[in-house]
Amino acid sequence: MTKDVQLILERLQPFFKQRSQTRYWLQITDNHYGQTYNVFFNYQRKWHRLKSQPLHTLNTYNLADLEAIVTELQTLTKLTIDYVGFGEQVWPNRQQRIQRKPHGYE
Amino acid sequence: MPSLDYHREPHGVYFLIDNKSFYASVECIERGFNPLKAPLVVMSEADNTNGGLVLATSPEAKLLYHLQANVSRQRDLPADPRLVVVPPRMTLYIQRNLQINAIFNRFVADCDLLPYSIDESILDLTHSWHLFGETPRAVAQRIQHTIRHELGLYTTVGIGDNPVQAKLALDLYAKHTQDLIGEIHYDTVQETIWPIKDLTSIWGIGHRTAKHLQRLGIHTMADLAHANPYLLKQELGLIGTQLFAVAWGIDRSQVAKPSLPQSTSLGNSQVLPRDYHNVTEIETVIKEVGEQVASRLRHHHQLAGAVSLSIGFAYAASEMTGESGFSQVMRIDPTDQDRAITAPLITLFKQHWHGQAIRNIAVYTAKLQPKQGQQLSLFTGMEQQLRTDRLAQTVDQIRSRFGFTKLVYLRSLVAGGTAIQRASLVGGHNGGNAYD
Repeated sequence: MTKDVQLILERLQPFFKQRSQTRYWLQITDNHYGQTYNVFFNYQRKWHRLKSQPLHTLNTYNLADLEAIVTELQTLTKLTIDYVGFGEQVWPNRQQRIQRKPHGYE
Repeated sequence: MPSLDYHREPHGVYFLIDNKSFYASVECIERGFNPLKAPLVVMSEADNTNGGLVLATSPEAKLLYHLQANVSRQRDLPADPRLVVVPPRMTLYIQRNLQINAIFNRFVADCDLLPYSIDESILDLTHSWHLFGETPRAVAQRIQHTIRHELGLYTTVGIGDNPVQAKLALDLYAKHTQDLIGEIHYDTVQETIWPIKDLTSIWGIGHRTAKHLQRLGIHTMADLAHANPYLLKQELGLIGTQLFAVAWGIDRSQVAKPSLPQSTSLGNSQVLPRDYHNVTEIETVIKEVGEQVASRLRHHHQLAGAVSLSIGFAYAASEMTGESGFSQVMRIDPTDQDRAITAPLITLFKQHWHGQAIRNIAVYTAKLQPKQGQQLSLFTGMEQQLRTDRLAQTVDQIRSRFGFTKLVYLRSLVAGGTAIQRASLVGGHNGGNAYD
């Protein structure tokens, strides 16, 4: 496990309470202003406000590195990952578009 | 209409630039959202916020839920699934503020830039505006575009011939216009400042001052401009004449010249996570705050000649007794030592506390003087005094190198202590993840 993945998993643990009628997912943002990838843990109870907890900032602004981290996160957590700010960028290895459609608040 | 001859007043080009919903906008950018589109609030859910305190609201959330920036509580927020709630990260906001001021520095010299708060800065562009555009407004737009382009943040700009005009242009006009720019000049004071009826929207006028002015028959800024300045001074003191000047758009302050306060003070305060009744618990927190203040005195190489203790009673206790708390000052021999600061605080507390439940504790030190050597006391051995001083310095060094929580008094670990929990706060709120 890479250090980044370990940090992300450690930090999301206290918020992942597995309550009923609650959706939990990860959000990864391409912050092109700061040249970083930001990872958030989002959760929302049905009909309630969305809570978004910052987990980590990846300062190596490199898509291949991010892809490796994401692959590891997907195998370890099974959480859905929402991508924001990636536009039409494509995963270097998988050759798939990262973000299917623009987020409503973009 | 009477007018004033302004030609002897200082004329310059001043910008007051503010970040639109700063904390909320920074959080939007971090999440890849447009700051003007996402309904987002920054909410502190620390123990002492009674459920949650909204620190910042994005423009969209303000519009949707009619929220105010810094007075909303968790209970005022609707349970709307569209609303995004995020925790504060003070360290991140400080970083962004530094980046913004670095951008301002490209347009003005160091001495002409005055950061006014975490999201507001005053820029004196008198000497440099013509290097960057045809008109001051064009320069303002250029600054706005640079910040939006490089950091994603929206800024509002108040332009004036002096700082107070810029501030009023920002508060009264810039925040409500399409291009987020407002202007007030000497020749537009009558049209822009005088019609204002809500006196509390003017910088420097709060609810109490507005009520006081209303009792004097002053209901608009035009009334204030035509009031008798001698009467205003008699009724409101120095602030009366200052407000009279504001009503005429006059401000003679020089931004580049640092103002020296007549006397400085240094202190800390905190809201407790619950009502404290137990004398030991209360004394623990007073000592913790006292030690924090003493440590800051040492850091600034200052000695305090007076300490003050302010205690705020809990809501129920203040309702019952009709008193909201007490505040007492005591003169002490100039010192920066933990015990010499905390002992008089505990004495003050014992003298004036009669068992009420407590919610606020504030400790301030005043009559500061630079530490130019240690004043030895006749009543304690010299060796011991030097040892105490060295011990305090060593503790400070360990804490600055390894972090505050690595060396704490045992009492901070017992029930009621707040020092450890507070150590991670920045400006009273969550600083964000320790390392990213």
